[in-house]
Amino acid sequence: MKKKVLATLLTAAMVAGCLVGCGGGSGDSAADTAPAADAAPAADSAADDTAEGDAAAEPVDYGSGTITIWVAENTVDFTTQKAQEFFEANPDMAGYTVTVEPVGEGDAASNMLTDVEGGADIFGFAQDQITRLVSAGALSPIVNDNLTFVTSNNDEGSANAAVVGDVTYAYPMTSDNGYFLYYDKSVVTDPTSLEQIVADCEAAGKNFYMEINSGWYQPAFFFATGCTLTYDTGDAGNFTQCNVDYASDAGVVALKEIIELASSPAFQNGSSVDNGTNIGAIVDGTWDSRSASDAFGDNYACAKLPSFEGSDGNTYQLSGFGGYKLLGIKPQVEPGKLAVCHALAQYLTNKDTQLARYNAVGWGPSNVEAQQDSAIQADVALSALAEQLQYTIPQGNYPGDYWTLATSLGDDIIAGTISASSSDEELTNVLQTFQDTCISYAQ
Amino acid sequence: MGIKAKRTLGNTITYIVLIIISIIWLFPFVCLFLQSLRSYNEGGGGMVEYLLPKQFSLDSYTFLLSQDSQFVRWYLNTLVIAAFVAVFQTIVVLCVSYALSRMRFKGRTFLMRFWLILGMFPGFLTMICLYFLLKQFGLTQQGAIPGLILISVASSGMGYYVTKGYFDTIPKALDEAARIDGASRARVFLTMIIPMSKPIIIYAALVAFMAPWCDYIFASYVAFGYSDSYNVAVAMQRWVWTNDYQGYFTRFCAGGMLVAVPITILFICLQRYYVEGVTGGAVKG
Amino acid sequence: MGNSANSGKGPVGKFFGGVGNEFKEIGLTFAQGDWKTKVSYLIMGFGPLMRKQFLRGFAYLAAEVLFIWYMVAFGWGYLKDFTTLGTVARVMNDDGTFSYNDNSFLILLYSLLTIILIFIFLVVWRMNLRENRNEEKLLAAGKQLGTVKGDLYSLLDSHFDKTLLAIPVLGIFVFTVLPIVFMIFIAFTDYDANHQPPTNLFTWVGLENFKNLFSFGTTGLGSTFLTVLSWTLIWAFFATFLTYFCGMGVAIMINRKGIKFKKLWRTILVMTIAVPQFVSLLYVYKMFAGDGLVNSYLMKWGLISSAIPFWDNPLLAKIMIIVINLWIGIPYTMLITTGLLMNIPEDLYESARIDGATGFQMFKSITLPYMLFVTGPFLLTQFTGNLNNFNVIFLLTQGGPQSMKLSNNAGYTDLLVTWLYKMTINDTNYRMAAVLGIMVFVVTAVISLIVYGMLPSVRDEEGFQ
Repeated sequence: MKKKVLATLLTAAMVAGCLVGCGGGSGDSAADTAPAADAAPAADSAADDTAEGDAAAEPVDYGSGTITIWVAENTVDFTTQKAQEFFEANPDMAGYTVTVEPVGEGDAASNMLTDVEGGADIFGFAQDQITRLVSAGALSPIVNDNLTFVTSNNDEGSANAAVVGDVTYAYPMTSDNGYFLYYDKSVVTDPTSLEQIVADCEAAGKNFYMEINSGWYQPAFFFATGCTLTYDTGDAGNFTQCNVDYASDAGVVALKEIIELASSPAFQNGSSVDNGTNIGAIVDGTWDSRSASDAFGDNYACAKLPSFEGSDGNTYQLSGFGGYKLLGIKPQVEPGKLAVCHALAQYLTNKDTQLARYNAVGWGPSNVEAQQDSAIQADVALSALAEQLQYTIPQGNYPGDYWTLATSLGDDIIAGTISASSSDEELTNVLQTFQDTCISYAQ
Repeated sequence: MGIKAKRTLGNTITYIVLIIISIIWLFPFVCLFLQSLRSYNEGGGGMVEYLLPKQFSLDSYTFLLSQDSQFVRWYLNTLVIAAFVAVFQTIVVLCVSYALSRMRFKGRTFLMRFWLILGMFPGFLTMICLYFLLKQFGLTQQGAIPGLILISVASSGMGYYVTKGYFDTIPKALDEAARIDGASRARVFLTMIIPMSKPIIIYAALVAFMAPWCDYIFASYVAFGYSDSYNVAVAMQRWVWTNDYQGYFTRFCAGGMLVAVPITILFICLQRYYVEGVTGGAVKG
Repeated sequence: MGNSANSGKGPVGKFFGGVGNEFKEIGLTFAQGDWKTKVSYLIMGFGPLMRKQFLRGFAYLAAEVLFIWYMVAFGWGYLKDFTTLGTVARVMNDDGTFSYNDNSFLILLYSLLTIILIFIFLVVWRMNLRENRNEEKLLAAGKQLGTVKGDLYSLLDSHFDKTLLAIPVLGIFVFTVLPIVFMIFIAFTDYDANHQPPTNLFTWVGLENFKNLFSFGTTGLGSTFLTVLSWTLIWAFFATFLTYFCGMGVAIMINRKGIKFKKLWRTILVMTIAVPQFVSLLYVYKMFAGDGLVNSYLMKWGLISSAIPFWDNPLLAKIMIIVINLWIGIPYTMLITTGLLMNIPEDLYESARIDGATGFQMFKSITLPYMLFVTGPFLLTQFTGNLNNFNVIFLLTQGGPQSMKLSNNAGYTDLLVTWLYKMTINDTNYRMAAVLGIMVFVVTAVISLIVYGMLPSVRDEEGFQ
């Protein structure tokens, strides 16, 4: 009987030994001596690559290793190619090899949160994730020359979207993370009126899609009637204050409109062309433009969001969020790698790359010069978005719980728990609860 | 109405009910198959509200098997995981079952009760801990495939019930006779019990082989950010659940068929053993 | 399972009696032992080595060396921080890089490993003493000590169980026991999105998380927990028994005399077991969506004017889940009951028929009692399995629809286990996930204990063989 325990112990000890061996590995890599983070990159990769060869600067040793990049599936090939071009242009950094993995904006954030060390060095994410990422320590701050690169090249909204507290944490990649209306020309007669669109869809037996149980689409109604909902953030990614006035007459008007929309037989909750069927019109973003034009064929059309006639008799233009996609850098332990990451991230978000990305996958640039490009000015989806953007508010930071709460409100409406038969007082109570809960997320 | 007429009527009703049931049971699979044959030119590969494709084509299948998609790699990953898990898990289960069925040692009851209690904790509870444990061994991301095999095999000892129940039904007198002839326990186990347990071995291996095809939760947790290590389930549920993939619905259906068909054929061939296993397991608890 | 050999005293008395005996024997071994035994108190395996028991001696010695090496090189470094779980968080350097310091996660994990290893070491040390004492006794009685060959052979024969169980037990220890113990401890810390290693530290918070789960104020989880718990129980009940009876019904129909193609019917049903659920259930979900196949056709045929909210209405969603679970579950029960139904002696039915019993009467008084008796334990495992039936819920509704009445991401169809999953993945709220995990365990254990006592077929395990 000794044998059993002995065997167990010995094996356990071996396991432990193994753990010792592996556990030590992660910490001892900071010893490298390499240049400071922001020494190299800003100059050479910003707008023109010619600044490269000037001066008698000693070639700096950036070290070597692997850099992992996470981007959405449809930009993997594009990003791989651009990364290659980057290293061709910067041979002194070519000690690094790049792996590009298809990890979408949503997954990237949750994966980074699960294990920062196992995550990518450079990753794309949608702006609504930034506070979570900052509080989990998954983003490297951007300072000095790198910060200048962000603020001088990109539109103001996108540069602000990368800020948490007072610190900038990411490179803006696109300014197209907003939504507008895709519709079928043969079904919708007047895309400027919500009532008309719904009526047309009902008459044609088609579906009208809007994801009203999403915290992203839902505010289109509330902001339209003049309500506000924003949060102030602290440096650590914490929320310091909530500015909200949903529990008001204006809020009730918006809520009633959502309820009315949800009660239409043509209404479907959703915001993905692929997951929708028999679509007459859909509120969706630029990323679905290819699917939308496939689905509508010759009848493909885009427009800004419609306006609606509220229960108080006034007409309101649907608002919403104007959001951004960002490229972030994971906190690094080696200065050399950090410098390369910054340089590469800047290359991947500079004017030329943003334009090239538009041509490859249709993403709208955040770079101000790129936005003036004629091809972009002519794009149907992007111009619909641009038109809509006048009515939207730039998307700030929201706590993760807000999105859940908004889903709950939307689900209650869809399920009929909150319905047209509810009195104004009941609706105000619902909004009061919503507002109080929003405030409770900010300590 | 005579007994015969009554019986005929009863049988007719039964046939009708069985046919209805069969239609309900097969309907989703037929839909899945039909959708997998829908052409990409028809609505761009998204969902549609009708059943019969207007334009049949093998677009989705050719896409999955082409260079544009890593599907073949994911498929092989899953196959490798399933094969290794089937072999090692069966070995572990046989060892544990024999020890618990045939030998009486100190701590046996304790061990069985302890494992029973462990089984009452939900598996997802320990996901984060398992991830970091595996990471210490370098078995996440790039190493996710051996990692997944290790995790499945490591805790498989707790699933001994069915096999032990089967061993319990093999008369102990056989063992005793062999031992009197001077055979060691090991020899009895290897040369007598195992050859007699073919049905239960096939059952254990079949169940172990099928499980990895459905593992999308833990597999995606361990392999995140490294698409070469995905299995089919992880990759395919991303097509459906994340917004990044446009026009992948018909491909999802096609992938589903490619996964389902071989497993179903294998399962139907070995159905006899499966039935024997589950029935035995159910009766013995 | 009866193992109550020495059940004279209560378990507590038994335990302390046992510990007392151990100490007495340790003292006795030292007092009566020779110098080799006495040295073995410090240098394990010394006695056996001196008595030419090289295999055993070296094994003990190696265990001690490895243990000391482990503690010095690794274990102590983590164990010393066990009370605080680390004090120095990550810092940013001047050049923009970061230095990682204490990692609360690894401190807790390896501390627990070290504590467990210390206990195991004490047991081995105790065995080392017993080994010495046994050897001395044998020698005193003039008997031969075992040989290396004999020791090795016994691992294939009388001690074959150690050989067979060593790897499985080790695997379960590292990948099941250790993680579960770890997560139980997590329930007493503040490990969540704001305290996530390696960036931030987490630390002990006592019973705060449990208080949160049972607090019914506006911020507490109390009412949501009760809603989810009650649906979990209702779901498990219906999922188990409806499937059971319907499955039996189908089996009876297929078994009916005069029904042909028995194998075909079975094979059709069994396909749902073979096709991976993430394919079939995801598809079925889409079929019943507001814009899915079913609603579209019903509307096209003019049977309904607006879509039936299969997944949007909480009650309807619950019913749908239970019904679709029948689709998954019936084939399984059908397979099991088919074999068992054939075991019921035909003459029972014959004589009942002669007495003029109807089909339903025969089912009620012959089939059902027999089946319930035989499949009692199966029903219990099905029930506890359904309490944790992740796939059906998650692949269909993902727990939705949500409501303002429920907090923390929970929806009306969430089970405790899917809620736990959401907390882990969506919120990285590990502290509450750990508490929920413990609750799932408590619920499962309580139900198992109650039901197990009521089962008619609980029998002596030995008697069955």
